[in-house]
Amino acid sequence: MPSVNVVNGKQIVVEDLGPAERAVRFFAKPFLQMLHHRDLIQAILRREVAERFKGSIAGWVWAVVAPLLAIAVYTFFFAGKLDLPPEFIITSSPNTNYALFILSGIIVFNFWSEMAFRAPMLLHEYVHFIKQTIFPSDMLAMISTLRATLYTVISIAVLLIFQVIVVGSLPWTMLLLPLIFIPFVAFVVGMSWFLCAVGAFTRDAGYLMINIVPLFMFATPIFYSHTSLPPPWNLVIYLNALTGYVDVMRDIMLLGKLPHWPVYAWTLFTSFVTFYLGYWFFDRYRNVIVDVI
Amino acid sequence: MSSSTSSDIVVQAKHLGKAYQLYARRNDWLKQVMLGWWKSYFKPFWVLRDIDLQVRRGESIGILGRNGCGKSTLLQVICGMTLPSHGELRVNGRIAPVLALGSTFDLELSGRENVMIGGAVLGLKRAEVLRKFNSIAEFAGIGDYMDQPVKHYSMGMRTRLAFSICAHVEAEILVVDEALAVGDAAFQRKCLDWIDNFRKTGTLLFVSHSMAEVRRLCTRAIWIEDGRIREQGDPSEVIRNYHRALVVEKDDVSRFSAARS
Repeated sequence: MPSVNVVNGKQIVVEDLGPAERAVRFFAKPFLQMLHHRDLIQAILRREVAERFKGSIAGWVWAVVAPLLAIAVYTFFFAGKLDLPPEFIITSSPNTNYALFILSGIIVFNFWSEMAFRAPMLLHEYVHFIKQTIFPSDMLAMISTLRATLYTVISIAVLLIFQVIVVGSLPWTMLLLPLIFIPFVAFVVGMSWFLCAVGAFTRDAGYLMINIVPLFMFATPIFYSHTSLPPPWNLVIYLNALTGYVDVMRDIMLLGKLPHWPVYAWTLFTSFVTFYLGYWFFDRYRNVIVDVI
Repeated sequence: MSSSTSSDIVVQAKHLGKAYQLYARRNDWLKQVMLGWWKSYFKPFWVLRDIDLQVRRGESIGILGRNGCGKSTLLQVICGMTLPSHGELRVNGRIAPVLALGSTFDLELSGRENVMIGGAVLGLKRAEVLRKFNSIAEFAGIGDYMDQPVKHYSMGMRTRLAFSICAHVEAEILVVDEALAVGDAAFQRKCLDWIDNFRKTGTLLFVSHSMAEVRRLCTRAIWIEDGRIREQGDPSEVIRNYHRALVVEKDDVSRFSAARS
């Protein structure tokens, strides 16, 4: 097998595959790539993690301080100023209800927004790797999302500890958390592939995200519940894919009930479609990106 | 590959061409992406044209040419970093690119951490890098600086460390692009000795402006001009003609303009 085999600007794949095999190949490709480059992913991820709190003495303490600070702010300042749906009154202290409610939404949003801000500049950060070495640039979106995932997991852990303290117990549905969190990570990776490919062509993508991400903070039910919206807006808001994830996360983390199945199906659908559309888009333009970045 | 003759050929290029898309205005690429099926909004700038090249296992090829003649692009294409726009290219074997040494170093991280990353980028397993670490450190010869952030390194030290990583990849094809210009004479000699040793088993593609290095290391020289192969053959002969051309032909700046193509 030649390591490079190109004819007229197209990579030659030696095997002759039917449509079904090609589809399987396509769906398996991101994961096979990940497996193949696992040592590289590990090395770059270490760098990314070290870089996040570069030059800071406290380091990862900040990852714990941030959600704690958020809890404090939401508990003391927001209390009583927002209408909370009655089902979310799960503790006797009204203030902590708000903190739990908002924090569970904002964790999802922060994860998404970190990558939405960063992805357009991601390939520029690694331009030397892309241009001077034989580098799997498609792994960068995965690696940087993995770092954001670590950070989010810490936030969730803080939230759960807080919940144990104020409520006294955790609902059993907690155990289902990976079933929504993993599709969410896939959704964010897919979005990052798309954004980092576009961002390689033009820096406008970065500026665009700086302007629209804050708007999404209000277009996502973080400080309110979608049930408080008048119809048809309580359904329209699901077009913002984040709504589904926030909804399911709150159901299983705070309320201890199974999510509505259409909502869960919708999150799986947006996750799957975003992941593979993003990968398809990146893969299609990756060879052009090397020349334009 | 079944026959022994074809498996001896590690790099096979036919009519290889590479064009970059040059846009007159900054945002024309957007029109190209959206309306490219209708008309093209760029001028193709051919950096490589009609390159025919055959490299056999164990050969050492020196590539000569002025700045911007397409040497580096040719190496990038052969390494598979960028796709050629035209022609055929087949490469057999594990490539170690030694291009722009140290450019991927993270300045904030220590030399040790950069070795881990650099090794992984060159395709080494983590366990392999750990096993070879002492040998890498010894070859680089930067002593206790290994645990300092790379930002405190001199250019020469960075080059030492970067070359040292590349030297431990166990590649079959080594692609070296003017890598050694920065190091001091002692380190250059060390590298040249190492390359000399590598040549016994591997294939070498070597770009350099030092004719002495090319003469010493290479079994064949290729002179590239304007993206085409102008001459190839015995190193000393190609070097002599190249030198003569450098003196006779003026430094023609118009070669950088796309309009000519």
